[in-house]
Amino acid sequence: MGLGRLLEVFLLGLQNLARYKLRSFLTMLGMIFGVASVVAMLSVGAGARHEILARIQELGIENIIVNSVRPPQESKSQGNEETRVDRYGLTFRDEEVIRSVCPTLETLMPVNLVRQRVWHGSRRVDASVLGVLPRHLTTFGLDVGRGRTFNQVDEASAAKVCIVRRGLVRELEALRDPIGMSVTIGAWPFEIVGVLEDERFRSHTRKALALDDRAHEVYIPYSTSMRTFGTLTFVERGGSADRSIVDLDQLVVVARSPDLVFTTARIVASILERFHERKDYEIVVPLELLEQSERAQAVFGVVMVLIAGISLLVGGIGIANIMLASVTERTREIGVRRALGARRRDVLQQFLTETAAIGLVGGLLGCLFGLGAIQGIVGYTGWKAMVDPRYFAISLSISLLVAVVSGIYPARRAALMDPIAALRSE
Amino acid sequence: MLPVVELEQVTKVYRQGTTELRVLAGIDLAIAPGELVGIVGASGSGKSTLMNILGCLDRPTSGRYRLDGQDVSALDDDQLSALRNRHIGFVFQSFQLISQLDVLENVEVPLFYGHVRRRERRALCRRTLDAVGLGGRLRHFPAQLSGGECQRVAIARALVGEPALLLTDEPTGNLDSRNGAEVLRILRELNEEGRTIVIVTHNMEIAATLPRVLEMSDGELAPVAPRAGGQGA
Repeated sequence: MGLGRLLEVFLLGLQNLARYKLRSFLTMLGMIFGVASVVAMLSVGAGARHEILARIQELGIENIIVNSVRPPQESKSQGNEETRVDRYGLTFRDEEVIRSVCPTLETLMPVNLVRQRVWHGSRRVDASVLGVLPRHLTTFGLDVGRGRTFNQVDEASAAKVCIVRRGLVRELEALRDPIGMSVTIGAWPFEIVGVLEDERFRSHTRKALALDDRAHEVYIPYSTSMRTFGTLTFVERGGSADRSIVDLDQLVVVARSPDLVFTTARIVASILERFHERKDYEIVVPLELLEQSERAQAVFGVVMVLIAGISLLVGGIGIANIMLASVTERTREIGVRRALGARRRDVLQQFLTETAAIGLVGGLLGCLFGLGAIQGIVGYTGWKAMVDPRYFAISLSISLLVAVVSGIYPARRAALMDPIAALRSE
Repeated sequence: MLPVVELEQVTKVYRQGTTELRVLAGIDLAIAPGELVGIVGASGSGKSTLMNILGCLDRPTSGRYRLDGQDVSALDDDQLSALRNRHIGFVFQSFQLISQLDVLENVEVPLFYGHVRRRERRALCRRTLDAVGLGGRLRHFPAQLSGGECQRVAIARALVGEPALLLTDEPTGNLDSRNGAEVLRILRELNEEGRTIVIVTHNMEIAATLPRVLEMSDGELAPVAPRAGGQGA
């Protein structure tokens, strides 16, 4: 059969659908929901995978991040609050032990993290100031778009240099080229030597790195940070000063290879367990995020596959049902067509094309509904979705297939009718 | 000239359990090209069965049927469909138009199954509908037409494929006398143009006006002597 002819039969099928709009729509309903959930499932799944991969890329798949965490305060009545210094978190000893014990280690990078204000003239911006080793920036894939990165000399000489995010430069409203510009961090003058390409980390990354959501990141050499800000932190809190000492705010443990990440994480965890009575640290394994999200996705996936499957099944049954009714209703037409020269396969084809038309139109509507569903899911859960034209192609093929399969029985029944009896039927 | 229709000892037997119902008991019939033949008979006489066999909708139990020189007895369902499409034009008592299709589309149906190209199809249908006086009703639906008009559409549909045999089953049965007469006039005109037409009817008044009339009775077919004064006798 020629393409033109197929198209003609198909248009006839569409015409028939258009004649009974409400009935056709109701017939398609199951199809529409099925296709919508397939589209939504694929898009949301892809979005989640993409998001998680991007997140992991930012954190580095070989990295394990250990943050010092203030443990829950013991009862406040104990001790003299004015003079008490709370000591918690990762210690230099932890660092040493991990470095000497852990065989799967590529490197260890301490981070000294302080909250400071950055001044330029009269402008002031809150910043998370990270004291880092030169390697740190490359490990986290931070591109210094303009200026330079840190070098060993900066580290060895505890140079007062910093690398900042573009956003911070903007907020300081400096009119001149930021490279070489002087800013004041806390009470000390620093020279901006580099500006990072990207605006900021994703929110999940900031959370994993224990960075304040509203503050900009400012990077300075680790030695500079230790000498300038040290390990003692004052926090003014409701009139009383809260003093704490944290040796290492953060320890970035880099495994030799992605395969060794979980082993390394286990070793680090058991070392820390041994030396810490309180749970005053947290271990973030980016690779674990992937597995967690995949587990969450798997649940979501199963639900969506069930919805899609049931909808398509019900949709298919609905189509078969309506087509059977239609075949009965159009018995005389079938008889006439047979008398006028339609072969059995022509009748079969006619009805199959009609169900295909239902499948296609239902599938297209389903794609539209699917887009709506994606909007809804994204709006409600905050997940990311990635819409790919291929998903529509897949869903449309599925709906076409389901429709045609559902149409086989009714169409066969039409084709096998005895023309004489069909002509005589009322 | 080779007959359009040639039946040789055609029988049709229906089996119901152990009883055999012999509906056609060895029928011989030859219809020459250009003939206008009436077949009459009471209901239950086997008239419809004969009509179905002539129309290739049904196959004889035994005997031979040649349509336009071709032996039909050995053909399979697809081949019979093709044969109906090319060689037979049906006109039914109840018009049997497809209600969802308009006039033009209804007339197109046989050409569609004859794989005639769309443009050619349209042109042929227009011409044929013009010939039956319905050139101005192409886009009407059957429900919008009178019975007489419906039957003219049906005649156009039967004619459009230039079949060898026009098989009409009580073509005036659902029409008032005026429209019935009009339909008969058209059929007679077509016959004068050289078409071979069979009119199956139980209406003896109509039969009486036909040049050749055969009567079915108890599965046998016998000629009815033309009445004196019958046309074309």
